[in-house]
Amino acid sequence: MRITMRNWVIGVAAPVLLLVAWWFLSADSTDPFFPPLQTILVRFQELWLFEHFQSDVLLSLGNLFLGFVIAAAAGIALGFITALVAPVRWMLDPLIHFLRGIPPVALVPIFISLIGFGTQMRVTSIALAALFPTMIATVDGIRSVSNDLLDVSRVYRLTRKERVLKVLLPAATPQIFSGLQVSLQVAFIVMIASEMLGSSQGIGAMTLLAQQSFMTADMWAGILLLGVIGFLVNILFSLLRRRVLSWYIGSRRLARAS
Amino acid sequence: MKASVRPYAFSIVGVAGALVIWQLLAEAKVAGTALPPATTVFATLATILGTGTFWSSLGATIGIALLALALSAVAGVAIGLLVGSFESVKYATLAVLEFLKPVPPIVILPLAVLVLGPTAEMSLLLVVFGCLLPIVMQTVDGVQGTDPVARDTARSYGMGEGEILARVVLPSAMPYIGTAMRVAAPAALVVTVVAGLLGGGPGLGQNIYQAQAAGDYAGLYGLVIVLGVLGLLFQGATRLAERRVLHWHESYREVEPR
Amino acid sequence: MSNRPAPPLPIRNRKSTMAQQPETRVSAATPRLDVAHLAKTYGSGGKARTVIEDLTFTVDAGEVVCIVGPSGVGKTTLLKCLAGLQPATSGRAAIDGRIISGPPPEMALVFQDYNRSLMPWLTVRKNLVLPLRHLKLSAAELKERCDSALAAVGLSHADNQYPWQLSGGMQQRVAIARALAYRPEILIMDEPFASVDAQTRFDLEDLCLKIQRDFNMTILVVTHDIDEAVYLADRVVVLGSRPARVLKVVDVDLPAPRDQITTRSLPEFARQRTEVLSLIKRPA
Repeated sequence: MRITMRNWVIGVAAPVLLLVAWWFLSADSTDPFFPPLQTILVRFQELWLFEHFQSDVLLSLGNLFLGFVIAAAAGIALGFITALVAPVRWMLDPLIHFLRGIPPVALVPIFISLIGFGTQMRVTSIALAALFPTMIATVDGIRSVSNDLLDVSRVYRLTRKERVLKVLLPAATPQIFSGLQVSLQVAFIVMIASEMLGSSQGIGAMTLLAQQSFMTADMWAGILLLGVIGFLVNILFSLLRRRVLSWYIGSRRLARAS
Repeated sequence: MKASVRPYAFSIVGVAGALVIWQLLAEAKVAGTALPPATTVFATLATILGTGTFWSSLGATIGIALLALALSAVAGVAIGLLVGSFESVKYATLAVLEFLKPVPPIVILPLAVLVLGPTAEMSLLLVVFGCLLPIVMQTVDGVQGTDPVARDTARSYGMGEGEILARVVLPSAMPYIGTAMRVAAPAALVVTVVAGLLGGGPGLGQNIYQAQAAGDYAGLYGLVIVLGVLGLLFQGATRLAERRVLHWHESYREVEPR
Repeated sequence: MSNRPAPPLPIRNRKSTMAQQPETRVSAATPRLDVAHLAKTYGSGGKARTVIEDLTFTVDAGEVVCIVGPSGVGKTTLLKCLAGLQPATSGRAAIDGRIISGPPPEMALVFQDYNRSLMPWLTVRKNLVLPLRHLKLSAAELKERCDSALAAVGLSHADNQYPWQLSGGMQQRVAIARALAYRPEILIMDEPFASVDAQTRFDLEDLCLKIQRDFNMTILVVTHDIDEAVYLADRVVVLGSRPARVLKVVDVDLPAPRDQITTRSLPEFARQRTEVLSLIKRPA
């Protein structure tokens, strides 16, 4: 897709202009809700780089990462079992469909009451909430593997292990990644929610605390950081996906072109 | 047992088994009083369903979600048509949209609560923030996917640009918009609950927070179950609505079995 | 294959050269594939659908047999039963006297839809290697098999590409190479050239005959293209009627080696073709 010079210029200039406008329009602001952009950025640097970096930023990110990895591994594993063992699938189907409809954030109070306010609660909440999208996508991905591929693996007498690891898993990976992307979003949201509801540490907790103490610039700094983290985490995921699914992306592009 | 009945039998066993395990764990006081027995929860739920406050709360949740959904749909389609039809607009907004895409509403929750307080307006703002962007982006996809032949045919019949937009572009973008709505509707419900739970907005979210804070664990679990059922109903309703509106589109035509 | 037999001289009937082949494993008298009263019914009770009713034919070692019939007659069902992918409802299919109850190790299958039978996440070479892993071959032997299979189909240059980067004809050749690398003794092909253009089809048909010559392979081809069937085959099994049964087994008495231009212009070719066509078009 050729992007013309003109579009490049527009694409870069527009957000830059927006930021500049924000800066100048808010420069002398005494509005308690919308402090000057400059103040926000100053507080951003003071808070996150590096005073609270280790105690809060790394903490939040660590929980996010740990919870997501657990959810991904468990989701894929459980998804495989559910997809391949029919009785398990029949038993779990209604339960899963019911549980997936519950807003993940609503599970946090339950975990608080069961596990308390510590790190375990947060990681557990993240992991359990993020489990479902990946598990469901894994089941869908495996069940929709083309019958022809399965016939090929039988005709050439692939062993069961080969069939699962070398045919089913790669074939289901595009769909698994779709599930992982949703899981990542859910993990991010629950990370923030679990901190806002039951913690004094972490970016979410600090942001809420700032809001409740009317330290508006600090609150904005927290929101900004969360937004940036959400954006960056997604970019990292997209890069990973492009690497792992290069074959899929390539073949889809060709299919669309024909 | 007949093969066709077996899945349902297993499903029933699965649900029943889960309830039994729940009951046993609760009575063994595995988590102290935090895990109330299933029987208590359902009894409490029955009581709650008899109160007026529950139904007005439920109404508030559904009302806010639907209203926000409608607002997002109207604004989203309008913005999407604009962005999709004019290349310069598309590139000007590209950076901002791509940055906001992975940012969930919970990130701006502190700001919304600060400015609007724990009100229905705050909830509305949050839900619109969450639903607007996917609708815009899908509308843009739909506009850009309009069959150029259809567009040229309309132009050769002397239709003006506005008419083409309304009579050709919009209908052909409908499936995309439909998909966005199908995804946005449950999201609207979820964000409404989050706004209530974390921000104090009206509705079931707030009730859940109060139940947990007051130690009313049976009520807490009961409300979560209500949310699960509500989620299922929302999913089903949106699917029905989509089918009704888009029954003419290709993806819904019966495919001839080979 | 370093000591392949010399190409057979162009004599009238290819079958009589079999006595000269040094590598016949079974005597010419025992058929490699023996299908007797094979039947397959899907579903049960009121929804039962009998697709094939009574199929009986044999395939001898080193033969090329083509199965033709109108669309939907059940050719694919027959192949699935022969390949051990589905159990027959009654009757039997046997390979070297053994009843087929699962995919036999001596058999390889080339599917019609190459798009969905090649693994899109693997390069061409890796696609070829996949069925060979559990055979526990040395790395050198793996390489040799892949190299020679790719050379046989003319795709040595494409071994590091992905299937979807190749044209339809090339993808089908990859599928054939995969079967070749597996070194089967019996190759079954399900309408293998139906999804490629006519020019590529002629090339692939000749490739099929070349494989039979070079490797002395027994080949069974299912096709709806009567010209192709007569061109390729030593014998043509004509299926017809619903549910399917064998209408006739036609001996094809055309000289070998076959050639697209000369063989197809022989009057004998037209005669055999007409015979098969009239069998198929006859009301059931």
